[in-house]
Amino acid sequence: MNTTDFGVTGLTCNHCVMTVSRAAALVPGVTGVSIDLVANGQSTLHVESDAAVDAVALDKAIVEAGYELVH
Amino acid sequence: MSTTHVDLALEGMTCATCAGRIEGALAAVPGVIATVNFATERASVEIDGVTDATVLIAAITKVGYGARVIDREQREKDAPVDPVLTARVIVSLALATPVFFMSMIPAWQFDGFQWVAAALTTPIVTWGAWPFHRAAIRNARHGATTMDTLVSLGVAVAYLWSIYALFFTMAGMIGMRMDMALFGYSPHSLYFESASVVTAFVLLGRLLESSSKRAAKMSLTALLNTAAKHAILLVDGREVTVPAGALQRGDTFVVLAGGIVPTDGRIVEGQSAIDASAVTGESGLVPVGVGSTLIGGTINAGGRLVVEATAVGAGTELARLTRMVEEAQAGKAPVQKLVDRISAVFVPLVIVSAVAGGIVWFAITGDATHAVSIAVATLVVACPCALGLATPMALLAGTGRGARSGIIIRGTDVLESTRRVTTVVVDKTGTLTSGHPSVVDVLGDSVSADTVLGDAARVEMGTDHPLARAVVAEATTREVMGDVARGILAEPGRGVTGTLGTTVIRAGSLEWLAETSHAVPTSIVAAAADWTSAGRSLVAVAHGDRVVGLIAISDVVKPSASVAIRALSKLGIRTVMASGDNAAVAEVVAHEVGIDEFYGAMNPADKRDLIARLQQRGEVVAMVGDGINDAAALAQADLGIAMGHGTDVAIETSDIVLVSTDLRRVADAIRLSRSTLGTIRGNLVWAFGYNAIAIPIALAGIMGPAVAGLAMACSSVFVVLNSARLAAFRTS
Repeated sequence: MNTTDFGVTGLTCNHCVMTVSRAAALVPGVTGVSIDLVANGQSTLHVESDAAVDAVALDKAIVEAGYELVH
Repeated sequence: MSTTHVDLALEGMTCATCAGRIEGALAAVPGVIATVNFATERASVEIDGVTDATVLIAAITKVGYGARVIDREQREKDAPVDPVLTARVIVSLALATPVFFMSMIPAWQFDGFQWVAAALTTPIVTWGAWPFHRAAIRNARHGATTMDTLVSLGVAVAYLWSIYALFFTMAGMIGMRMDMALFGYSPHSLYFESASVVTAFVLLGRLLESSSKRAAKMSLTALLNTAAKHAILLVDGREVTVPAGALQRGDTFVVLAGGIVPTDGRIVEGQSAIDASAVTGESGLVPVGVGSTLIGGTINAGGRLVVEATAVGAGTELARLTRMVEEAQAGKAPVQKLVDRISAVFVPLVIVSAVAGGIVWFAITGDATHAVSIAVATLVVACPCALGLATPMALLAGTGRGARSGIIIRGTDVLESTRRVTTVVVDKTGTLTSGHPSVVDVLGDSVSADTVLGDAARVEMGTDHPLARAVVAEATTREVMGDVARGILAEPGRGVTGTLGTTVIRAGSLEWLAETSHAVPTSIVAAAADWTSAGRSLVAVAHGDRVVGLIAISDVVKPSASVAIRALSKLGIRTVMASGDNAAVAEVVAHEVGIDEFYGAMNPADKRDLIARLQQRGEVVAMVGDGINDAAALAQADLGIAMGHGTDVAIETSDIVLVSTDLRRVADAIRLSRSTLGTIRGNLVWAFGYNAIAIPIALAGIMGPAVAGLAMACSSVFVVLNSARLAAFRTS
């Protein structure tokens, strides 16, 4: 079980948290998602997975949801 | 673009007009539909498109109000103690202290001290007292006078007059000393110490009040952790843990044994039993299987379930109940603070006396300055500095005492409603009863009761049925538990078969055993009839094809329940029971504990309507409950009392929270609230009293500065000491 943290920007409220969580959850290999919201700042996305997360797929999923992954 | 929903908490609304203005401001934002609830200070906004919450907040700020997005976790972390208020208190107290001493102690007065006092007082009465001035102006627009009016007026008049005296009379002369005679009028009296001390004390009172509210909130936060925060989403057969809110309709999710069902859904795989008591109020577990519907917020007591979400967010049963709660709350008139009710009479009276006094003195002496100074002295002395402390000191002492006994009182309004309570409505499950089924009676025919119980337990060991668990628990307590039977086979909805030695033992419904047995003994048939009508569940036991015993299982009444009901009756309060269970069960419990009136088979809306009916009869109703099913009733009631193991919604909508599940605390809470309110009234009477005595002295034109000082000191000391008495309150 790995936990990887990512920075995400563009989140303003709990609604965004749900949107991003869902997007991240759909990425193959992900087994758990949670987010510490920093409204209008850089929120932290905790991703749990069995193997290492496919960062490219995750990045694509987050961008498609309308948010930015910080690199 | 899809529609999104945002809830905003609003600040600064004073009347329904404000709500209208905010609604208008939000509607002007493109793609936004908003409704504003004045009572709950919430705006519910539907956004179509890309607009986000910051735009909405900006729109609201532009029309002069405050708003922030409501976020559950943020709400829990909220620190309601306003840092600006804290700063005002610290600065005002620091500046008021030297002003007070240099004014009251002639020996400490140095040349020009009065100018120093003026300089120190200026920030206090302008910046420090600003909240009072602002509120007074707002009230004046509605023609209302509250405590803020009294403070604002007293402080402003004392200060402005003193400044006038400083510049235009002898009072400003360097070398002047203030004479501390009790009586003896001086037309150039200075009131800087009154203005500054009153402001500082009343601000301190505000701070104490908000910290006591905060303390109550913190104790609550510890209890608010029951609802499902996470859900396990199934994505292509993969389990992913996500925040519960991320679920959408049509998703499949997994609910593990012991887990909380995150949203409404239909079971597609698995079998289990659901503990719905938190939501529906029904005691016991409900067996579920493929196709059964689940309500979000209930607990999966059995095995793993795979569920398809049928409703999420606002569409869920839970959300519907919450809306019902909000509607009930919106209809609840806020109680006007006691101090404001007194002020509404006291303030106009003081103003009229001051003006009339001034006119009379002008008529007698023809000296305008003299007449004005009399009026000023009257207004200044009338403003008690203990006024601000009267309520918070008693509240702090009362709520502090309550918290030590697990009684959390949420604010002063609650005390007012508590005083008037005439009827207490209690929920049954978990309130009067333990909420868990237990064995209440065992009957053996040709074998001992212990054998019946022991044998039943030995075949039911492996089963997770609530009745089976009750049997096993009782057998363990009575130490009649033997080895587990061999070859256990469960037939869902009927019972369990197993073998002990050479005997086949069956335990289950009497109907099932009767089908395959010889004639059931008459003693057992009779007991079954009696127990069923008493609202008990039955487990029958057979040895081979012979029925040998019967076990009665019921949700047991808590030992403290009848004591608690008696305590309430002693307070002159009528007791009513509203239960989600059927009437037979309700009746048995009602008689056992001595309830005055009872209603069975009540759903959440019925409970709310029952309370509304009682209210129409003229009763002031307190509701005691714990489930989400009680939330609407708790909100509808004049006083909502939630039991501590209850759910979020129940706790949020209640006025008093009891940490323990002991019903006796209800009577204690009511007594404590009454004592606290009594203390507040005593405090207010004396706070106003000492200063009221000084009014005729001021009107007579013989008030020395010491009279104002004495009135301030006496009333403050009294208020502090009187409040401290609450610490001695005894619980039952």
